[in-house]
Amino acid sequence: MRKPTLMNQILSQVGLLLIGLFVLIPIWSISRLAFDESLKSRPVEFRVLPKDLGFAPMQQVMDRPYQSVTFKNLLRNSLIVSGGSALGAIILGMSLAYAFARFRFPGRKVGLFILLLAAMLPPIALTTALYIVLSILKIRTTLFGLAIIYTTFAMPFCIWNMRAAFQSTPKELEEAAYLDGASNFRTFLEISLPLAIPSIAVSALIAFLMGYSEFAIGWLFIDKSDNVTLAMSIYSILGSGATQPWSQIGSLALIMSLPVVIIFVILQHTLLDQMLLGNTGESS
Amino acid sequence: MKRSNLIRLLTKLLAIILVTSIAWTLRERAVNNLPVDYDEDDYLRAAQQFTELIRAKDWAGFEETNYRAEHPPLSKILFGFSLLSAPEAPLIPDRPTSAGPDQYLPRDLLHNARSMGQVFGTLTVFLLSLLNPIAGLFLAAHTFTIKYVSQVMLEALPALTSLVTVMAYVQSKKHKNASGWLIVSAVFLGLTAASKYLYCLVGIAILIDWYLVSKENDNLRAFVRNVLLWGVLAVALFFLADPYLWPDPINRLKESVFYHAGYATGASEVSNAGFPFWQPFVWLNTSAFYWHEDVFVVGLDFLATILAAFGIMRLWKKERTYVLWLIIAVVFLLLWPTKWPQYILVLTVPLSFAAGEAVAMGWEKALERIRRPRLEKEARQVFNRRDVARSLPWLVPGLIVFIVFTLFPLIFQVAISLTDFNSISIKDGLNGGVWREVWEGLTGQTQPVNQDFPYRSKEVQFTGPTSYVPVFNWITGDGILVFNILWMILSVALQTILGIGAALLLWNKRIRFRRGWQTLFILPWAIPETIGALMWISVFASTFGWLALAVQDFGKEIPIAFLNDWARSPNLTLIVLLIVGLWYGFPFMMLAASAGLKQLPVEVFDAAAMDGANAWQIFRHVTWPLLMPLVIPAIIIRGIFAFNQFYLLQLFGFMHGNYYMTSLATLSYNIFNPSGFGGFNGQFAVSASLNIITLLILVGLVSLFNRWSKAEEGVTYA
Repeated sequence: MRKPTLMNQILSQVGLLLIGLFVLIPIWSISRLAFDESLKSRPVEFRVLPKDLGFAPMQQVMDRPYQSVTFKNLLRNSLIVSGGSALGAIILGMSLAYAFARFRFPGRKVGLFILLLAAMLPPIALTTALYIVLSILKIRTTLFGLAIIYTTFAMPFCIWNMRAAFQSTPKELEEAAYLDGASNFRTFLEISLPLAIPSIAVSALIAFLMGYSEFAIGWLFIDKSDNVTLAMSIYSILGSGATQPWSQIGSLALIMSLPVVIIFVILQHTLLDQMLLGNTGESS
Repeated sequence: MKRSNLIRLLTKLLAIILVTSIAWTLRERAVNNLPVDYDEDDYLRAAQQFTELIRAKDWAGFEETNYRAEHPPLSKILFGFSLLSAPEAPLIPDRPTSAGPDQYLPRDLLHNARSMGQVFGTLTVFLLSLLNPIAGLFLAAHTFTIKYVSQVMLEALPALTSLVTVMAYVQSKKHKNASGWLIVSAVFLGLTAASKYLYCLVGIAILIDWYLVSKENDNLRAFVRNVLLWGVLAVALFFLADPYLWPDPINRLKESVFYHAGYATGASEVSNAGFPFWQPFVWLNTSAFYWHEDVFVVGLDFLATILAAFGIMRLWKKERTYVLWLIIAVVFLLLWPTKWPQYILVLTVPLSFAAGEAVAMGWEKALERIRRPRLEKEARQVFNRRDVARSLPWLVPGLIVFIVFTLFPLIFQVAISLTDFNSISIKDGLNGGVWREVWEGLTGQTQPVNQDFPYRSKEVQFTGPTSYVPVFNWITGDGILVFNILWMILSVALQTILGIGAALLLWNKRIRFRRGWQTLFILPWAIPETIGALMWISVFASTFGWLALAVQDFGKEIPIAFLNDWARSPNLTLIVLLIVGLWYGFPFMMLAASAGLKQLPVEVFDAAAMDGANAWQIFRHVTWPLLMPLVIPAIIIRGIFAFNQFYLLQLFGFMHGNYYMTSLATLSYNIFNPSGFGGFNGQFAVSASLNIITLLILVGLVSLFNRWSKAEEGVTYA
């Protein structure tokens, strides 16, 4: 590609700057609140920079962000629930994904359509039955129950993506191993799985994120403040009319998104490759 | 004449007669049973004045009589004639336009005037059914059309004359000696103008088509001459049919036209109605059936709207003037600030026509499939037995998981939607009450009970599929479904534009800070949706948001201060939601477009640049066609996600009062939530019906998108 002219370079930079500003506005807006020690509740005057720059709100949030629950507890709950659901969705969905990717069997096309549809349903469409079943099992208000719910939401979607991953590994390799006498399961474990690991990891990450930022369905199930996740606590603080200073709300928001942002920025190229080029599947 | 042709002709004739009599009967019911509506007293009073003049043979009085002078008098004069056979009654009092409906109007006068509308309305259906009987049927059963032609409103006559205008114009294209038909068309356009100005939109449609035809035939000089003659004739007829204009044409015309501009921007009833700009779509997707359930037989207006979307291409090929009519009317109604439901009558004729064409198309396709030898069956996949056997160890555990976690909850939803299960009957539900009731109901052991919303029974009861109709009414009547779909289209369109724009800016590897910009731009994608919404709340919140504080400290002169009141206006609320949605969604589209651009061959662009194409030409003719197929899967994925958008709409929903600006998913959540607010919480059964409706809509969308492109091969990350 040719070198852009100076004019083009300048125009492009201006365009990029405008988009960059658009991206930064809300992030800056919440940061200016998060680092402002002077805020007692809602902000009352227009400021571009914090009035008393400092980390006190951050520290308060790290200590005790929501009712009597410690930050450590919230974070632990979030990690258990979203990690558990990511793991669950991957492990439970893997065999179906592999079957769809590798074998032809009657009803495959219909199955794929149902799967796609399930991946596109809003979570609320699956909630009622789980509410009943988990209540009967008496685990409705536990973290384990919540992990199961988020597993359900993420699974169709993970199956769909893992299918694409398995499909893109060369079939010849598997056939060769199979003809060499390796069992079905061994072929899968030693050939297909390692090759698909990056895509599976991406699926797991997305499933993790679903659970990490979900709050609404969580509030239908959890009623003990011990089992609240980070996202749920933020929603609750907002919904309760925000008696807490906005500096703390902002700090909580920043702390919560920081790890995810770091992962995304580090992995952005892997993510991109996996997501957009990782499926050259056959027509179905 | 061949026999088959004769049969076809007779069938069509029969269909026309049938459709016309259906139209007559439905309008007859409406004339007799509809309660008095706004404005009927005004036009009846106007008609009485004309009746008096006619009885007194005071023809000069016509020049000074036109009650409600903002509308031209032709319809009112004809109403006046219709009252001649009725006994005289005291003049109906003069009341402001904002006055409520007057239920004490003299019944015989009302009946006479309404019957005249019935005649015009039925004639309109008759004419349309000449073109396409199915289209006639759609118009005959269109409840808003029935309602407003069968009341003492000004819609019936111009709806008829505008159709005649277009039909005559279309005929003129088919005949060598066109002038006769053109004269008819001009005359009826004049009459249309003398009945209600709004319906003159058909004139614009005709002019555009006329211009296009002349351009195709390289005949622009004759076009100008003919159009001038046609226009002069129409204006002359308008003037002739509007005696009120005779004494002082310029001023009185000015007055009546400017009244509408003033009314649209100034009248309190217009601004109090608080309709969003897309309200006409809401009218088109709901039905007057729900306002007067005893008057109308069915309310299937939405069917005509949906089918019209499919039939519009075929209608364009058949006769584009009708499509132009439809498009111009839609654009006008979206832009015009007054959004009364009767305005949609300006487009129900072409809408029904397009719907009729869609049905004809479906019919032909079905016939084709029956006639064609079944090739598809032969091409059925042959399954390798060994392959199937090998798949079983993978398939069986996978299916068990899938059935337990996904299919069972879905089937349970269907079961719940047939009961009145709610948060009070939860104990019974935990003990298997839902299955018990559905089983007994379906096997006929219990009769379905009729329950009013909200359900508050203590035991689960079988209701049958009765929840579906009111739920569907609710989401169409309140415009929730229309907003949901509008939101999907607009937000994804904006995300695509900005995403592709950003990708193009970052395309050239020599752009400075390329990596840095890209990393910055993916931030919104990496931030959890909840947090993103929270960040934007800190900008847009009504008293303490960044924007509100800026307006408070610097006054209303700052550039985007107009957005500060966003929560009070549905249009501004939509803008704010779109801004936030754009922020969320564009990084994904940018990544998809970047990946697509990487795959494009660089040589093509260099060659195009060598040939002297400018940047826009290269984009329009090279980049876009090559890139489009690569980003379509991403567009589809974003579209589905936007349709189900939850966190953003839920959190912002707390801040604005327009409860209909939500997604079906959000709505379903809020009526499910047992500790939700309002009287409509813990309604598990209603939420379930809503979910099933959502599911059906998604099935439609997914199969539509699937046909559009092979979406299922595409990305599903978002």
